Amino acid sequence: MMDSRKPASNGSSHNYSTTIKGLQLFIADLRSSQYSDEHEKRIQSEIVKIKQQFDSAAKKSANGKDKLGGYQRKKYIAKLAYIYVTSNTTKLNDILFGLDQMLELLASDSFSEKFMAYMTLEFLYEHAIVISKVRDKVTHQLIKDISGSNDNFVALALNFIGVAGKLDIEMSKDDNLTTEVFQILRSPTSTVYLKKKSALAFLTLLKTNPGILIDDPQRKQLWIQRILSLLDDTQNYRLMLAVLPLVEYIAKNIDLECCIRLLRQLTQILYNCVIVGTSNSEKFPSEFKFANVPNPWLITKIVSLLSILIVSPTEANNTSSAVLQSSNIDRETLGKLRMCVTKAIEVGTKSCNDPMERIVLNTILFSLINFASKLDPSPEAISNSVSALCSLLTSAEINIRYLTLDSLVKLCSISGRHAIDTVRYKNLNLIFHILDSERDSSIVRKVVDLLYTFTDSENLQIIVQKLFEYVQSSRHPTDPFIKSDIAVKIAILSEKFAIDAHWYINVSLNLLSLTSNSTLNDDEIWQRLCQIVVNNTSLHQITCEHLVDYLRETHTSEAIVKTGAFLLGEYANLVFEKASVGELFNLFTDKYFTTSNVTRAMILTTIVKLYRFSTAIESVVIKFFQIELNSLDIELQTRSFEYLNFVQLSKLNGNTKLLDVLFSPMPPFNTRSNPLLKRLGSLPSSGYSSTFSESIGSLHGDKDRSTTPPTSFSQASGRPAPPRSRGTKSASINTLASEPMLSSGWEEGFSRMLSHRKGILYTSGFLRVIYRITNPETENLTRLKISLTFINQSELKINGLSTEINAIRTADNPEYVLRNIEPPSSIDVNPRGRSEQSFEVIVRKTFSVIDSPTVKVYFSCGGSTNSIVLKAAIGVTSTITSSAAAKNTISLPQFVTRWKTLREALGDDGEYILEKIQLRRKKSGNPDGEYLRSIYQCISRMGFNIVEQTSVNNTLFIAGIIHTKSEGSFGCLIKLKYDEPKREVSLTCRTTSNGSLAQNISECLKYAISN
Amino acid sequence: MAIQFILCFNKQGVVRLVRWFDICQVDSQKPQDMIVQIYRLISSRDHKHQSNFVEFSDSTKLVYKRYAGLYFVMGIDLQDEEPIYLSHIHLFVEVLDAFFGNVCELDIVFSFYRAYMVMDEMFIGGEVQEISKEVLLERLSILDRLN
Repeated sequence: MMDSRKPASNGSSHNYSTTIKGLQLFIADLRSSQYSDEHEKRIQSEIVKIKQQFDSAAKKSANGKDKLGGYQRKKYIAKLAYIYVTSNTTKLNDILFGLDQMLELLASDSFSEKFMAYMTLEFLYEHAIVISKVRDKVTHQLIKDISGSNDNFVALALNFIGVAGKLDIEMSKDDNLTTEVFQILRSPTSTVYLKKKSALAFLTLLKTNPGILIDDPQRKQLWIQRILSLLDDTQNYRLMLAVLPLVEYIAKNIDLECCIRLLRQLTQILYNCVIVGTSNSEKFPSEFKFANVPNPWLITKIVSLLSILIVSPTEANNTSSAVLQSSNIDRETLGKLRMCVTKAIEVGTKSCNDPMERIVLNTILFSLINFASKLDPSPEAISNSVSALCSLLTSAEINIRYLTLDSLVKLCSISGRHAIDTVRYKNLNLIFHILDSERDSSIVRKVVDLLYTFTDSENLQIIVQKLFEYVQSSRHPTDPFIKSDIAVKIAILSEKFAIDAHWYINVSLNLLSLTSNSTLNDDEIWQRLCQIVVNNTSLHQITCEHLVDYLRETHTSEAIVKTGAFLLGEYANLVFEKASVGELFNLFTDKYFTTSNVTRAMILTTIVKLYRFSTAIESVVIKFFQIELNSLDIELQTRSFEYLNFVQLSKLNGNTKLLDVLFSPMPPFNTRSNPLLKRLGSLPSSGYSSTFSESIGSLHGDKDRSTTPPTSFSQASGRPAPPRSRGTKSASINTLASEPMLSSGWEEGFSRMLSHRKGILYTSGFLRVIYRITNPETENLTRLKISLTFINQSELKINGLSTEINAIRTADNPEYVLRNIEPPSSIDVNPRGRSEQSFEVIVRKTFSVIDSPTVKVYFSCGGSTNSIVLKAAIGVTSTITSSAAAKNTISLPQFVTRWKTLREALGDDGEYILEKIQLRRKKSGNPDGEYLRSIYQCISRMGFNIVEQTSVNNTLFIAGIIHTKSEGSFGCLIKLKYDEPKREVSLTCRTTSNGSLAQNISECLKYAISN
Repeated sequence: MAIQFILCFNKQGVVRLVRWFDICQVDSQKPQDMIVQIYRLISSRDHKHQSNFVEFSDSTKLVYKRYAGLYFVMGIDLQDEEPIYLSHIHLFVEVLDAFFGNVCELDIVFSFYRAYMVMDEMFIGGEVQEISKEVLLERLSILDRLN
């Protein structure tokens, strides 16, 4: 293949009718004169000749006769195309005269002529000037060809749209054209060949102008359904290949929800490819195999589409439309998908000799492994995938090492802890070895990305050390991009995870001293360091002392000079014991002449500041500024002039009051987030990054420390963490207190949610969460819609509000399921602004209220990252019939009769007794009788019927009907006694079910009334 | 997920085939300048000891392979998975090889329009439209004989 030693006999040995002799001769001519003036002359003379031919043809055709002839025209156009291509587009203007004849050729009835015209225009459409000249006529011809009956012409026109559609936006706005293309796609009579081309041509138009579908809701629905139905034939792999990218685009950019229904279908296709296709069975057609492996193109495209349809739990918080999570995929489908992953790992890691088969197997392997994290894999599954991948790190194939690392980076970022632990505890040395020995900078880049994803305070020092070794080592080819990349990452990681402040300062300064000679733009690194030092008093002195050491060296990097100029200007007084002001002045003026103008400007300011610390250096300062008055640089000259005046004025006044005002100490910086993070490029966000607070924000130590990780930088500087802002009062309910992550104060809202349909779920200085429970269908009480409203209580903007709502169980026939989880309506919330979200709960069976869904809320405010973990109380009592008409229809005798019937029917099994419920609520001044009244109201609000009676004191007779989706409805009766002196409640609950229902109801009541 | 461009040049950097599918995405650079940069980047890489993948810009990475004296390069989005595009290139070269009959650089020079015909039958709008070598060759031989 690609044999370069083949004799150069006019290239092709074919002799079809399409061979154009004149063109071949012309090309041969040009090649023989490749490096001489002859070459250019030959081109110019040919252009002149063609121009003459075209001119006379134009005149003649005005008379109605075409004397040039199609073949000649095709030949000349082909020559122009060749000139254009070989001149690397520089001869565009020389060939523009041929456009008219190209249009003529485009209208030809001969395929080879039409092909030549379309092909040439495909090149030229790169230029706006060409498009503006020929657009109308080309579009006209396109529509004519597409709507015509010659399939070969239709194919040519579709090819052209597929190439030029993105280059001319007007094409996609031509409704006739888009409709014609779509007609071919949807028509049942079109051949598969044309359908494939039209699918991709339509995709090109849609990418250029999504309005084709978005602007017209009716068309959108209709056309999308037509497109999706093309996938219904799950055996038509050929068509599928071309339709899948179109569907993927629609799912990603136009309408995700309508594509959800494809899940089972796509899974089946994938299963056929991966499982059936790799077994030896003949069921998978061999023509769809490539290198003996089932069609990797189809597999990657299906996986790519599935990846859009299914979001992983982590993504669910970030994407605006969390539609499918592994938790709401049916088990059969999920099982099949997981089988595919397992199979891919199995075949992808076994050895095989054919290099092409190898790469195809790996294509499938990496595609599916990257997808696996969406399927909510078990820790073992993740760990196994990672181990399988790590075994490929020692592969002899460079590509495989690269792809393995790439895959590991993705896995570690998405799957988090389990993936990361497997890599860092079992394979760290191997990764260091690759960093040390690899010669491909693409691979080194991936290694650095991988190290970045799993660095934390524990392994920070070793990783930073290894990265330093790499940057400093002379064995590695100097790739300035890699070095810059590593420097940025060292800076970010040290800031984020350093426990030891001195270590952090050492590393940062060392980093800055290194990057002196590279092209690296390290301004952001030293500026960030200055911000952190300024904001942390304890770092001032130590940093300045180190800086003096660096400045005393003969060669100092410019970044160090800048850092020194800024920080020593601020804190020179802290190093007086080490270096006098006079020495500092000399150090800076020595460096002055070896640095850039920006740095010099900084040094000028530093000199004035030094003067403030000691007016003894006055004469040298004045002399220095006087010299710089002659600076050629206007900024330096201006500064010198101004500063000179300040100094002389101070001298005159005999004090530095003016300077003290002008150069008062820098206030702390407000930049909370690290600007370096923007420079991470394509690297997916680190598995850790979201959980750690921005350290500069926490340096001030004034935020709620409960959310700050123990590794936070502030503790390193010796400041003890302040106590938690709220006392924990959850201890009273033991079952829930054992869940350590619930935020303090959760319980009040939790209890409220059982007795009120709306109210406050949680409130803090930052955020208030309001809930509302409704029934989307009045007839279906097992379906509850929970709306949450998040209100910003602080004076600062809240950013990145996201939530995670989880059921206690999602598999194994769960008691309730969560559906339609909408993400918060906006992720940024202004002070007093709000964001809303909703989700639905379907109560399938009876369950304990303790197992209610957890709601985790993440947000940042004023530089601190916060998370709140709450429980949204959904109990069996949330489904009680609460129609007002049904109330008060039960009398005491009726209650007593039913009470006895239940006892007789179920005995102890249907009964639950709960005693000594302490009432905590204390409202001063309320007479004791009010307690019973408030219990009455509370239970009534929950939806229960309460027998109106006066014959039995301090006792409530309560009735209600509980609804569940899978187990049906149950009646329940409750006798509640209030012990006034002890302020205790005891209750007995009987239900028509012999399970745990009575207990579950009692617990709901307990939470509702005790708070 | 799509091919931004397909490039084919020889060891001297002379472009033999070029197709832009997504010119707007490719920075604001002139395509010619980009080709020069791509050539420099790829020709500087070690054929034996380096992978077939390299990041090119903030929006593009390159997948490439050298066949004798010709480099075949595809520019793809950063989030795309590289290996399948290597298969794209391999298939493209296999089809060229079969279509021209032991293809060499000169075939592509003299019959550049037929090479583009192969490309158009395989790729539309940055997506692959047919991957069966037999189907492609049958189709191409029909088109090739049409007047």
